[in-house]
Parts: sequence; C-alpha cells; structure tokens
Amino acid sequence: MFADLRRITAKIAERFKRRFYGRTFNCPVCHFELAVVDAGSNRLLVCPVCGVVIDIEEVYGHAVPVVLEVELYRPQPKARIHPLATHVPIGLYPFAVLGAVLLAAGSLARPFLPAVEPLLARAPMIADATLVLLVLSVGLSILTFASGLWDWNRRYRRRSYRQIRLKIAFSILFLVLGGLAIALHASGAAFSPASGLIDLGSPASIVLAIVELALLSAGMAVIATLGHVGGTLVFGK
Amino acid sequence: MQFSPSAEQTELVEKARAFTKEYIGPNSMKYDRSGEFPREICREAFKQGFMNPHIPAAYGGSPHTVLDHCMVLEEMATGCSGIATAIDANGLSQYPVILAGSDDQKRRFLAPMTEELMFSAYAVTEPEAGSDVSRVKTSATKMGNDYVLNGIKWWITNGSVASWYFVLARVDDKPTAFVVPADSPGIIRGPKEINLGQHASNTVRVTFEDVKVEERNRLGDEGDGFQIAMKTFDHTRPGVAAGANGITKAALNIALSYAKRRRTFDKKLISNQGISFKLAEIMTGLDAARYLTYRAAWLFDQGEDNAREAAEAKWFAADVAMKAAIECSQVLGGYGFTTEMPAEKLIRDAKIYQIYEGATEIQKMIIVGKLMRMKEVH
Ligand SMILES: Cc1cc2nc3c(=O)[nH]c(=O)nc-3n(C[C@H](O)[C@H](O)[C@H](O)COP(=O)(O)OP(=O)(O)OC[C@H]3O[C@@H](n4cnc5c(N)ncnc54)[C@H](O)[C@@H]3O)c2cc1C
Ligand SMILES: [Zn+2]
Repeated sequence: MFADLRRITAKIAERFKRRFYGRTFNCPVCHFELAVVDAGSNRLLVCPVCGVVIDIEEVYGHAVPVVLEVELYRPQPKARIHPLATHVPIGLYPFAVLGAVLLAAGSLARPFLPAVEPLLARAPMIADATLVLLVLSVGLSILTFASGLWDWNRRYRRRSYRQIRLKIAFSILFLVLGGLAIALHASGAAFSPASGLIDLGSPASIVLAIVELALLSAGMAVIATLGHVGGTLVFGK
Repeated sequence: MQFSPSAEQTELVEKARAFTKEYIGPNSMKYDRSGEFPREICREAFKQGFMNPHIPAAYGGSPHTVLDHCMVLEEMATGCSGIATAIDANGLSQYPVILAGSDDQKRRFLAPMTEELMFSAYAVTEPEAGSDVSRVKTSATKMGNDYVLNGIKWWITNGSVASWYFVLARVDDKPTAFVVPADSPGIIRGPKEINLGQHASNTVRVTFEDVKVEERNRLGDEGDGFQIAMKTFDHTRPGVAAGANGITKAALNIALSYAKRRRTFDKKLISNQGISFKLAEIMTGLDAARYLTYRAAWLFDQGEDNAREAAEAKWFAADVAMKAAIECSQVLGGYGFTTEMPAEKLIRDAKIYQIYEGATEIQKMIIVGKLMRMKEVH
C-alpha cells in the first residue's frame, strides 16, 4: 500500500518535472540534473553546482555534454542568509499544519467521543498557536525569498536554471497560499475563535475549514518541493 | 543495381527517426538503469505501426518488407538497442508461425497481436544447448490428443511478458515446434536476468513442467521443428545486423558530436588525425555493414536464399558495432568510461550482437558451409 503510494507520487512528480524541465541530462562531473533548455542559443550552460561550463548537443535523443571550462571564482552566498533563513519556514510550517489538522480532528471527534471533551478545552490555544506559527513561517519566508533572489544574482549571475525558476514560482505560490491561509484562519470563519473548532452546524464554516486545510496541504507540498530543489542546488544530485 | 531508397522508404525512415528521437533516445539511460521493461514506449510504437511489421495483411497486419524493416530497426537501435529489441523481438517468434502455421494458427496467434499490444517469445535455447540447437532436450510426450512438455528454456527474450511461446521440443527423437500459450498451467517464468547490456530487453528462464499443449498448436509435422527454427533466422538475421548498425550509428554520432566540440592542446579534438581517422573508420564500417545487411534483407524479399548473406551481415555488423562502441568511448576519454555519458552503454549493448541469434563463430560456420559447396567464388 505504502509502496504503491510512493510509486504513484513519484510518477506524478516525474510528470510534473518533465513538464517543467523538458529534456534533461546529468552534469557529467557532479551528476546534477540539468535542463537542456537552460543552455542558451550558444548551447552553453554553467553547472550551478560544480561550475563546469558545458556545451550540450543532442544526437538521436542522446544528450552529449562536452565540458569546455571550469568557472573557478564563484562568490559564496553572503553571510549565508538564504541557507539559514530557509530552515525557519520549513521548520515551523509543518507544525502550523499539524495544529489545523488537530483542530479539525477534534471537531469531528467531538460528537462521537465525549472523552475528548476535556482535551478540547485547549483548542483555542492551539488555534492561536497555529496562527502564530503560520504568520512566522510565511512571514519569514519573505526573507528567505529575498535572500534567495540575492544569491541567484550573486552566485548564479542571474543565469536561467529551471530549478531556480521553479523555486521563484513556488516561493510566490507559497506566499499566496500562506497569505490566504493566514487571512482565513485569522478571520475565524473556519475555526471559531471562541472554541477553536469548526462549527459543524454551519455549512459555511465546514466549507471554509476544508478550504483552509486544502490551502495548508498545498502549501506543505510546495514548501517541501522548494526545500528539496534547493537542497539539490547545494548538495548536487 | 540501385542504391538509393525509394520515396516511401525515406518517409518511413524519417518517421522512425522522429520516433527514436522523441521516445527512445531520451529514455535510453533511464531504462538501462532501471532494467524496467519499456512497455509504454512499446505501446507508442504499436500505435505508430512499428510493432509486428511481419504479420501478413490477411491477419490484420500492415507488413513491411524485410529491407524496410531493417532500415526502421537501424534508426530505433540508434536510440537504444535494448528498447529496439523489446519493440522488435516479437518477430522472432511470429515468423515460425508465418512460415509453418496453418490458417487457424495464424488467426489465433498472429491476428490478436495486431489488435492490441501483446508480446511473444522464441523459446529454443536451453542451458545445455545454445549454438547446437539439435541438442535441445525439452520433451513433448504424446498423450491422447495432447502433448505434454517438460524442459527448461533459457535466455528467452520477452520471456516475462509473452502471451505465447514458440517452443522447440522433442517428440521421441523428432525436433518438433509448438506454439504454447503463456497461461498454460505448468509454465514457470524465472526472474529477469541481469545482463551486461540491453537492460531494457527482458531475458528470462522459462520452465515447462507437465505443460499440456493441444495438438492443434503443433507447427508443421512432428520432426519439422529444427527446420522451422533455423529457417526463421534467414528472416530475422538481417534485422539483428540492422540493430548492430544502429549501435554503430549511435557511436559515430556521439563521437562526432563530441570530437567537434571538445578541446585539447588548444584545438578541437577532431583536428587530430588520431581521432578523426577513427571516425572515418567507423563511417566506413557502418556503410559496409549496412550494405551487407540491406543485401541480405533484399534477397529475402526477392524470395531467394539469403542464408550466407544474412550470416555475413550478422557477424560483420556485430563486430563493427563492438569496435565502434569501443572507439567512441576512446574519443570521449574519461567521459567515455563514466555512466553519465551514453558511450559506455554502447559497449555493453554491442556485445550481445556477437552472441544471440547465432554467435559470430556459428555465422562463419554457415558461410563456410556454403563455400564448401562452391567450386569457385565469383
Ligand atoms: C540476452 C540474450 C537473449 C537471448 N534471447 C534468446 C531467445 O529469445 N530465444 C532463444 O532461443 N535463445 C536466446 N538466447 C540464446 C542465444 O541464442 C545463445 O546464447 C547463443 O546461441 C549461444 O549459445 P550458448 O550460449 O549456449 O553458447 P555455446 O553454444 O555454448 O557456445 C559458446 C561459444 O563457443 C562458440 N562455439 C560453439 N560451437 C562452436 C564451433 N563448432 N566452432 C567454433 N566456435 C563454437 C560459440 O560461438 C560461442 O562463442 C539469448 C541469449 C542472450 C544472452
Ligand atoms: Zn556539475
């Protein structure tokens, strides 16, 4: 079951990657996966991980990269703000999601399991903590985003890499999803501020809670992808 | 004598080339690494009419001549000879049915293969009998209207995915050919063999334990099996040579593309004769192998005996491919030895062409057999 799930998600991720990256090949030196389209009209591409200058040509669908040069002086990220900042949102966000999931589970369990009632007394606190975590993780991701752009400018000289495009697009997406989730959570329309729970008597509240959970899960997928792609840029394959 | 392809052949080759560049070449490393059977690529090949190109029109096929087929296969094997083998291997088991099957057998076994993606396999080799096919031990014992088969077939291409097998077995001492549906009770498929190359192609052991086969699934008469199994190669060997030519073409293209761009001692690699002559030699070898292949195929299409010519094409093309793959890796230097570049795979893939469908030595024995019957060679 678990293996099936993994296979299916791997397949979806692979499809998405093909869509976004197009044809790829591996850097023959550090094995990082590079997109053929990132080579300009002169077919040249600098590997963002190891810095070799590659001339890429395809024959019969085989990518034949030729290493021409090594770019020796590549500025390190200043003060390593991006690599450090990036861990704050990635570290905090899952707990925000967990908070919302606990609140939803509590709301659903309440009519059937009276035993959970004493625990639910803490729901308003969890709802508040969720909001704080959301604001912190999404807010700090602005710093992560800005420092990432700065590094792209410095270390990667604004060159076109599918990975960085994907990171920029996903960062914006994360801000939008996170912003909406914050707004919804803070409004109290999904999880009531008084009880911290979903008002199961109100269809609007149920729908909005589902929307908030969907926003949060989508944000989780987006931030996990961002972290993964960022990691490959630092550590290679 | 005519050396230029017809307009239809050019069109067919261009279609195969486009298919190769889109589906085969870009996926060659992936399947080489995973060893997964390239079913999705076969499905696309099936849709585009590249599979089962031997099945006669009367049974739903749209057949190519063997020559056309060789030209297509050369293109596909340039992308990946393992995937090309997966796409093409049906032909080896279908041809005995085309050659010796009754109308009913053709309807039952060939026609369905034109309707949906299906595979079949040629199960002749055994652990103790490869080159010397006459040694096969698998037995077929007559019991009422059925035969009961017992034996082990070894290195069977498509063995795990086949819907039916062409099987050579002995009835008493008579080599006899059968078509055996793969879902017959008593058939045990072994695991996929981990071979040196052509990882996308599926090679397995197939064991027959008291497998009942109806008499109507016997091809020809009892005792015809050896002839049927051997005659098949006149048809398929030019195709095997074409596969080897695909490897040579891939090696040439990759080495050429690389040598034109890589620089050493302040000039391009290709400016050194030590390198460029290698390319000239591979090109010459490819042309020579191709013309041998095309002639063997053309003779078959004319209905003439091509046993010698097919043997010549097969061993020669295989040797050219092996040499070309090694030289390609040499042109790439260290990059020719790493698994991240397409050269080393060519070496691994080329080797099998010197072995299957009759090893190089066996091809030479066939040629010598023909020479023995000649007074002088013209
Ligand atoms: C990947 C793969 C796929 C295959 N697919 C199929 C398939 O689909 N169906 C099938 O039936 N078989 C298949 N085979 C089997 C293949 O055809 C045999 O391996 C091949 O015919 C050689 O037989 P052998 O391995 O028994 O070698 P042997 O017959 O033992 O020969 C060993 C070596 O000695 C040489 N030799 C043998 N006799 C002589 C002689 N008299 N003089 C000089 N040299 C000689 C041979 O050329 C060979 O080099 C496959 C094999 C492989 C590896
Ligand atoms: Zn690299």
